[in-house]
Amino acid sequence: MELERLAIRARLRSPWESIDLGIALARQHWWPLFIVWLLPASVVFACSFWLLHDSPSWALLLVWWLKPVYDRLPLFIASRALFGEQVSVSGALKQFFSLNRRDWFAWLTWRRLSATRSYDMPVTLLEQTSGSARAARIGVLHRKHSNAATWLTLTGFHLEFFLFLALLAFMYLLIPEQVQIDWLPMLTNSALWLEWASNVLYLLVMAAVAPFYVVSGFCLYIGRRIELEAWDIEIQFRSLRDRHLRAQKDRQKRAAHATTAASLLLLCVLSISTLLPAEDASAEAALTPEQSRETIDQVLAGEDFHQQEEVSGWRLKELDMDSEIPEWLIDFVQWLENRQLASDKEREVDWAAHIGLLAELLLWAAFIGLVAYLLLRHREQILQSLRWQRKKPETRLRPETLFGLDVRQSSLPDDVCAEVLRLWRSGDKRGGLGLLYRATLAHLIESYQFEFGDHLTESECAQLVRQRQAHPQPEAQRPVSAALCELVQQLTVAWQQLAYAHRAPQLAQVETLCNQWQEAFGNED
Amino acid sequence: MLDTTYSVETPEGVDLRAQAAGPVPRILAYGVDIFYRSLILIALAIALAFAENAGLGIWLLCSFLLEWFYPVYFEVMHGGQTPGKKAFGLVVVNDNLTPISWSASLLRNLLRFADFLPFAYAAGVVSMTLGRHFQRLGDLAAGTLVVYRRESKAPQTLPDVTPLPPPRGLQLQDQQALISLIERSGELSEARQRELAELLEPLTGKKERAALDYLRAVGTWLLGGQTGGK
Repeated sequence: MELERLAIRARLRSPWESIDLGIALARQHWWPLFIVWLLPASVVFACSFWLLHDSPSWALLLVWWLKPVYDRLPLFIASRALFGEQVSVSGALKQFFSLNRRDWFAWLTWRRLSATRSYDMPVTLLEQTSGSARAARIGVLHRKHSNAATWLTLTGFHLEFFLFLALLAFMYLLIPEQVQIDWLPMLTNSALWLEWASNVLYLLVMAAVAPFYVVSGFCLYIGRRIELEAWDIEIQFRSLRDRHLRAQKDRQKRAAHATTAASLLLLCVLSISTLLPAEDASAEAALTPEQSRETIDQVLAGEDFHQQEEVSGWRLKELDMDSEIPEWLIDFVQWLENRQLASDKEREVDWAAHIGLLAELLLWAAFIGLVAYLLLRHREQILQSLRWQRKKPETRLRPETLFGLDVRQSSLPDDVCAEVLRLWRSGDKRGGLGLLYRATLAHLIESYQFEFGDHLTESECAQLVRQRQAHPQPEAQRPVSAALCELVQQLTVAWQQLAYAHRAPQLAQVETLCNQWQEAFGNED
Repeated sequence: MLDTTYSVETPEGVDLRAQAAGPVPRILAYGVDIFYRSLILIALAIALAFAENAGLGIWLLCSFLLEWFYPVYFEVMHGGQTPGKKAFGLVVVNDNLTPISWSASLLRNLLRFADFLPFAYAAGVVSMTLGRHFQRLGDLAAGTLVVYRRESKAPQTLPDVTPLPPPRGLQLQDQQALISLIERSGELSEARQRELAELLEPLTGKKERAALDYLRAVGTWLLGGQTGGK
């Protein structure tokens, strides 16, 4: 058994997970499993058709009874597929008789109705044991998982039956309504061809379900063996060992290289040292890998890696949500019950009408409550859809900084122009013109509702202003005068020149800009 | 490697894993739910027998509610578990492994209608069997799946050995295997454990009993046992 080639992930599984894995495995190899099951079964079916032609039910029972015979081939294929080996359909069919030799009589007689058939079959087929050895093995296996195996068999049996009914129902659904079939005589006289047809259908359903049943039982068995023999640990240990051996080999190879290199080096050094005056040769005290490994071990064994911490604190406990029926509801129900009892005693005639009335009232109350709740919940949307023409003013977030400049109104001094000229004269030209520029931006945002986003450049802002001046939209936004537009263009160019090209404008130009600014915004504050 | 694991990666790069539950346990869980529901309906029928036609009406109403909202109630209010699912350790979750929401639960349960077709949940069973994550049609539509709830392991009694630090270069899986070996020391036969321990002889340089004892000591160390000895 080569566990490295295992096609499934080896890990501890609950019996149900093992069954699920079986479903997944059977799904992967369904076609060969289906055919390998169906072919022998249909041979038996054909024989029974000749022999028991007049009693289709007995024929079906015979086919059904021989199930353990057909189960072995799918099991064989699945057991090979588990280790990544593909067995062809013809290859499996050739082994039909050799696989069925062991214990066939037992499986067809007293073990036929065993509820753990697919779980036990691998012991016979794959471990090739019988008699007391088998009994002991089954005993070990059955200590766990036998419950799930029983349920698996029961589920499989019912699934077969219900799928058969579903198939019949499906075909019935496909019959057009116009076709009138007189079912009653057909069913009561039980026409022979009808019964045989349904037998064929049942055979197909059995063959479709069988791979899942057989492989699920097999995976249950494998799951138990993984648990018993710790396959997962073995696989991990093997890979660890291989890794270690590989690393060791690498290290040896490298060490060999290193020694030859070192001897060459030594030779050189010796030849040189004979020529040169002898010096202190043992100056280098480099760490060898062994020494550094020792150091690592020492560090790992030290205090730093063996600190234990105890953490305690308060955490929210999971709330108990079970008893959430409010007191008043219980009281109300009790009150209702008492009232009904009382009214029963008084008038036994029309209590039914009372209950009916009560139910009606309750339903109406629930309905009204629901409508009210929905109205309340969606009032915003409803109101909006009623007054759809009136748009809500969109509140946009105003930017606080543009190009790294603070453009909030509040950050500006009271008299902007005076401050600009003061800064300019004191030599801080950048600060002065910058203040003028950002004051302009701030006013454009505040009073003219320009939406300058972070993605715009200075010239794009200026362009926006020019656009509004050229195409004013009377109802929407405040129009821009030609003078203001001109100011913005000039100021932008001046600021760009100063900021990026370090070319300051003349004082006269700044003063003109200030005057224009005063005209444009001065009387707004 | 074939497995039934369902995994989701969160935006933070954390892998969440769960084991998707297949048709067999789900059918059985459904059987348990059917059993409980019929018990309730029978009890109701007996209780309402005195009310004749009105009783029949109420009973029909109740059966309607039970049919459609019994699973929804339990799935949303009781952590994704109907009583049947609880019996088999199953949970319904959204397919990003978060707890199931109202709308998803309603959708997946209303679509039982589609899964039931043409008879006895045939479409649902076929879809569950063929789907990669064992989802029935309702699950596919609602974006949910049924997974196993992870049982919390009972604390293990560790063998009484002095912990020793592990050799260098152990990966996470190696450490987990070592821990698993020590945790299952009660279930695995002694001979098998020695056999497993000897696999690591090139690493440990020990044989038979000594190898196993050493691995046990390392396992205890990995589980946070107090270092002594060395």
